[in-house]
Amino acid sequence: MEINSMEAIKNLEKPRSMAQIVFAQFLENKAAVAGVIVILIFTVVALAAPWIQDAMNIDPDDQDLANHYLPMASYSEAPKNVKESLLHNFIAREPEKAKVLQDTLLGQHLVQVENPEDALFKLLELPPLEFEKLLISTQAPEAQSLINLSKKFKSFHLFGTDEVGRDVFIRLIYGTRISMGVGILTAVAAALVGLLIGAFSGFYGGFIDTTLMRVTDALLALPTMPVLIVIAAVDIQKVPFLNFLVTAQNQSIWKLVFILCLFSWMQVARLVRGSVLSIREREFILAARTLGANDFTIVVKHLFPNVIAPMLVSISLGVGESILYEAALSFLGLGIQPPTPSWGNMLNKAQELIFEATHLAILPGLLILLTTISFNFIGDGLQDAIDPKTIKR
Amino acid sequence: MGSYILRRLLQTLLVIVLLSYVFYYLMAMMPGDPVDLMISSNPKITPEDVIRLKSLYGLDQPAYVRYGHWVQDLIKGDFGYSRTYRVPVMELMGARLMNTFILSLASLLLALLISIPAGIYCSLHPNSKLDYTINFFSFTGISLPSFWLGIVLIILFSVKFPIFPAGGTQTVGLDDGTIWDIFADRTKYLILPVLSLSIQQIGRFSRFVRSAMLESLRNDYIRTAKAKGLSHNVIVWKHAFRNSLIPLVTILALSFSGLFSGALLTETVFAYQGVGKLVYDSIIGNDFNVAMVALLISVSMVLVMNLAADILYSVVDPRISY
Repeated sequence: MEINSMEAIKNLEKPRSMAQIVFAQFLENKAAVAGVIVILIFTVVALAAPWIQDAMNIDPDDQDLANHYLPMASYSEAPKNVKESLLHNFIAREPEKAKVLQDTLLGQHLVQVENPEDALFKLLELPPLEFEKLLISTQAPEAQSLINLSKKFKSFHLFGTDEVGRDVFIRLIYGTRISMGVGILTAVAAALVGLLIGAFSGFYGGFIDTTLMRVTDALLALPTMPVLIVIAAVDIQKVPFLNFLVTAQNQSIWKLVFILCLFSWMQVARLVRGSVLSIREREFILAARTLGANDFTIVVKHLFPNVIAPMLVSISLGVGESILYEAALSFLGLGIQPPTPSWGNMLNKAQELIFEATHLAILPGLLILLTTISFNFIGDGLQDAIDPKTIKR
Repeated sequence: MGSYILRRLLQTLLVIVLLSYVFYYLMAMMPGDPVDLMISSNPKITPEDVIRLKSLYGLDQPAYVRYGHWVQDLIKGDFGYSRTYRVPVMELMGARLMNTFILSLASLLLALLISIPAGIYCSLHPNSKLDYTINFFSFTGISLPSFWLGIVLIILFSVKFPIFPAGGTQTVGLDDGTIWDIFADRTKYLILPVLSLSIQQIGRFSRFVRSAMLESLRNDYIRTAKAKGLSHNVIVWKHAFRNSLIPLVTILALSFSGLFSGALLTETVFAYQGVGKLVYDSIIGNDFNVAMVALLISVSMVLVMNLAADILYSVVDPRISY
């Protein structure tokens, strides 16, 4: 009892900054913490995509029509031309080993060919298991390197393959990059645009304010999807001042971020305007002005810090929303253009997938759901954490 | 009040006119005008023909001139022809509008029917187990991509367990049945689309009703009502719920645009013949006249709904007067 109250007093005396209070409050929200963990994992996976690709030795763009719609956790054999080019590379890289092996094979009469150079290529016609057995039976020490090479002939598909035989697992991983990247970029850019417009509108008031807020209201009232479709269908080469985007390699990504930004800055603008309006009349602004601060200093140094917290909330809620819009547009074939994978455009052929490979119609959607729900939980947790009414001190 | 409504009407009209120009201009920038399509389908066409055709249809003129002609025709009541369906645009719109209206209304009603009781229950038992469960499902609903939910519903209820049709609006050739037959048939085709469209609204509304109710339950008049010895039901429905209606009307107004956006996706997934699918199909298929009219009608509908909700404010809240 004695100790407890002592500790309580000690805790009381310990001063905590606003950020510490908010952070502690946020940690109490289990769903939000789970959201952060999920997003962190997804981010790591997205960033590590090239290494995962190397480790699994699968290219996300490799098509193989002979092996389309493979079930989950299955192996596929590389087509003949791929095997032959791999063997060519091997022979070019290690001519001595290849020569020894070729001679051994011919010497032991394991293969019958007219041309001695074809000996190794003849082997490729064998099924993988016999290929390995035959090489082991030669007992040549060089055989091992060819067996290692043959591991590249077959690839493992954790989630099977899609309609043109591309590996779904690696495409989902690259899709994480695109979908989360577009979501985060859009939300951050939209928040910055909203911050500028809101601050401008709230700080100067009058005619500027009325005009900007009318535009904001009009955009908020629009049904987003039909309007997005019209803009997404526009041939960007015909737009006078935007055609610089076309030169970029991933033009559909930048185009999409730009379009989504056009329709997601309004909430932030309203929020910033509201808080600027209430802060503008406070004494500390008057004090700053009396001390000779100009408009720019007041806005950047005194107004912005006060709106950062609510902006973080709307950014994290905005990421979820942007991911949903990206997915919807790509699903309709107007967003990210294949072959670049995104979760949305992997569902593009969903009507066909329903019958051919059900899991392909479900997996990308599950990832979308998991990401958006995580961002929404984070946003909600942040909101509770920074709301002074709910803070327990 | 009258002048307020008039001012808002004029503002809405201005927005619609501005938007129609923006849409017209954007569509002029889409790949492939009608003559381009003719060229690609007819290799024997000569460059002279192309120039003649372009000037015949006025395609050689700048977009704002063409827009002027288009508005003139519109005022005369000529909405143009659909290139895909080969009928006047207005003939297409009627049935499509009705279908979308039925779909949206059914979804909205279902959403309200589920979310109001759920939200009120949560506000009366905050932090209970069921409150947490409902909250979790609301979050899931808000985060679900509605088109994907549609796909999952098709997989579950049309492929694995063939209970409902996977898509369409009504069974072909059932036009001569009784009204009841047609109604039952339409309902069968509506269930899955309505489910996938309303999930997001259910999530949004439940959270909203909950917080609005919690807010109004905190008021002094609730304590007064309790002190007077009023029954639980009267307190909840007559005092608390009626006062939480105002924010509910706000979210209802804002949900129209969301409902319409969702309807476009749902209609596409379920091949439901509504305006949303018409907008999408006509833009993809370069059916310019249809796209313009369908877009304008849908946007105008949403804007007018917003206006109606604003006017409804003063009805639910006598404190507000314009």
